[in-house]
Amino acid sequence: MDSVALRTQIKELIIRELNLEGKTPAELDDDAPLFGAGLGLDSLDALQLAMAIEERYEVTLPEGDEVRPIFASVAALADFVARSKSLATVNA
Amino acid sequence: MPGGSVGPMRVFVTGLGVVSPLALGARATMDALVQGRTAFRQLTLFDTSDQRTHRAAEVVGLTVADVAPPTHRDTWSRTDAMAVVAAREALAESRLDVSRHETHLAFGGTTGGMFETEQLLAEMHRDASRREPHALMLSHPLSATSDRLQTAVGPFARSRTLCSACSGGANAILLGAAWIRSGRSERVLAGGADGLCRLTFTGFNALGAVAPDRCRPFDRRRAGLGLGEGAAFLVLESEASVRMRGAVPLAELSGWAVGSEAHHITNPEEGGATAAGLMVRALQRGAVAVHELDYVNAHGTGTPLNDAMESRALHRALGPEVARVAVSSCKGQIGHTLGAAGAIEAAMTVLAIERGELPPTGGLEEPDAECDLVHVIGKGRRAEVRSAISNSFGFGGTDTVLLFTRPQVLAASRDGERSAARERLARRSRVVVTGAATLGSLGLLGSRRSLGYLEPGPAPTGEPLRFEAKEHFDLSRARRMDRPARLLTMAMQTALGECTGKRPIGPELGAIASSAYGNVDASAEFIQRIYEKGGRLASPLAFPNLVPSSPVGHAAIYLGMRGPVLATLDLGVTGEAAIALACELIEAGEASAIVAGSIEEQSAITEHVLGPLCAGSGSWTGVRGEGAAAIVLEEEGHAERRGARALCKIEHSASGRDGFARAAALLPAPRGAALVVVARRDESTLGALAETSWRDVSIAEVASRAGHHEGLGAVAVAAAVGALGDGRAEHVLVLGLAPDRWVTFVLARR
Repeated sequence: MDSVALRTQIKELIIRELNLEGKTPAELDDDAPLFGAGLGLDSLDALQLAMAIEERYEVTLPEGDEVRPIFASVAALADFVARSKSLATVNA
Repeated sequence: MPGGSVGPMRVFVTGLGVVSPLALGARATMDALVQGRTAFRQLTLFDTSDQRTHRAAEVVGLTVADVAPPTHRDTWSRTDAMAVVAAREALAESRLDVSRHETHLAFGGTTGGMFETEQLLAEMHRDASRREPHALMLSHPLSATSDRLQTAVGPFARSRTLCSACSGGANAILLGAAWIRSGRSERVLAGGADGLCRLTFTGFNALGAVAPDRCRPFDRRRAGLGLGEGAAFLVLESEASVRMRGAVPLAELSGWAVGSEAHHITNPEEGGATAAGLMVRALQRGAVAVHELDYVNAHGTGTPLNDAMESRALHRALGPEVARVAVSSCKGQIGHTLGAAGAIEAAMTVLAIERGELPPTGGLEEPDAECDLVHVIGKGRRAEVRSAISNSFGFGGTDTVLLFTRPQVLAASRDGERSAARERLARRSRVVVTGAATLGSLGLLGSRRSLGYLEPGPAPTGEPLRFEAKEHFDLSRARRMDRPARLLTMAMQTALGECTGKRPIGPELGAIASSAYGNVDASAEFIQRIYEKGGRLASPLAFPNLVPSSPVGHAAIYLGMRGPVLATLDLGVTGEAAIALACELIEAGEASAIVAGSIEEQSAITEHVLGPLCAGSGSWTGVRGEGAAAIVLEEEGHAERRGARALCKIEHSASGRDGFARAAALLPAPRGAALVVVARRDESTLGALAETSWRDVSIAEVASRAGHHEGLGAVAVAAAVGALGDGRAEHVLVLGLAPDRWVTFVLARR
């Protein structure tokens, strides 16, 4: 999957899992911070998002502070997923 | 009997009973706490291999078979068994024979029979053919524990089941005290019970709230709570009853306060302002000065957020005295026992006073600089305890503070003040209705138009209610709210919109909502996902919405309500119970205004399993409906001061378990244009009505237009308010009746 498609897919997942009714993937900025200002997401959303990403992409997210850079933006999250998937492919 | 001035309606504790993971027995639990023993071990009740953590504080040495009557072994839950054992101990210590001395029951919990029913719920969610009335499901509703207490240790002339998540047990004690202060009760058995189950264990794990190694409240390395289970009851008694029975008071429950943070569904308010304000209010109501307070039994869960917030709240509330007052949390030794916690910790607080001994904070070795308090580390220690506070905080931010004292050692100079404080509270406030609304088959309606439910017309279709969320909600603030929370909030918002006045009701507003079985379908879905995908893929966002108090918690946060926020339930009279509870709290001075009502959703599990089995809904003929109702109840003076027009007044409200004939005799007789409004006009309701002076008055039912559900009693009250506001009636009796329970209201024009 190319990176644009993956980012869109992750945005759809964010909208669905965090119940951002009325929002569309186009309205979510690739590089804007996911948490804090902007979408108004908080630590409870981060937990839900982590669970949903792990389920959807069969990856394991680190816990604690190490997850922060991965959750910095949609782009960072997509990069992590793409990297983990390619590693998984290599290892397989 | 302690000395000091004799004021009216003092509340004494005359018995304690505790089942904890450390011991069976209140005093044995205190002994173990003081010795520094810890109950955490590898959980054995169910498999935890797919979870993040594996330890919990389990109750050992007690099985359902030991406690339940032989014919009920398959239908009682562990929660029921723990509750009955704790209740027996409390009554025995108090030497209270409830069949001789009328006693009432206030019970708080969150999980009820979840452990016993969760596998079946998962199967029912997956497979429609499993949706049959399995007897095991009798233990599912939270009110089942109250019903088991009724048969095993009763009779209790009145009982009320509460849920406010982790402050439920404390709020049951608060309600018992309110009943005594307002003269509704002489004696109350009050407490809470909660058994461990997969749902809560997995849910708290999904929230990352459970410590991976051990629970360390107030420690700088603290990383979360540890879950536990248990039960506790206190016998609360009026001064007159203590004297009459020659009972021995262990402590006086001298002050209490409940309020809501209206902040977040799982996280506490950072600065602790609400918790601090409630501690101050409890001290004021008990007329206890901060320098007379010696101990605080903290909520102290061991989560980073709670302990920092609670420490800030203690600094705010106690001022410089925080450097003197000892603080400890029982949760590092027995875990967080959820609905039981407030009751177990209240019992330990009473024993700290009685024994002059403080339990330690288990797991605390290196106090966090953020938690700069006088800690009790390692083992317990001796200390004179003149008065002590027990704190309990719940999901959705319902905070409850209980203040206990050893009355004879408090400064005599404050006796006048104490007596005046009691006098103020002893007056029973009058309750008026200033708004009402319903959401159901006829739409979202104010009180006048809710009158439509009493008029002839087509039966409902039973179709689920449809609404456009964006027309009713600011979606950015409402995204956490599930469907029941939204339906309830729409009704509450509309009822509040009916309120007139020069100024609106402020943040002092409280909220009470009832739902007979809680969020049963969502719980079944959550559990099925655990079984299917493993605990690590449980949904953190779904979990907080499964607590029975979640819809009302969401409504309180969305609408900014900071008064008492509680859920209640009582099978076939669930709708009526919410309004009865609101009346009781307002008349006792616990709140000046409460919006109270019910929310019942269409649910195949309720319709085919729980309803017929528990509420007797199998005998209901006609379509099953869904909906919400809300009534704004205010203290009369509060409504007058803000220039609001009362739609009617509540002339009478009562509820009970049996003996309706005696209650019937106490009903005010009908006057003028009178009307009886009932949820269902069935034979038993007509039979009960025939025992009253209202027997010849015309009767209207709401079920034929609204469809049947357990919350219909609140719709009946809203329609009754409409009939009075419309001039259709001057005097209305609302009668709610279900097997072994009844509720009555008489509403009158002002």
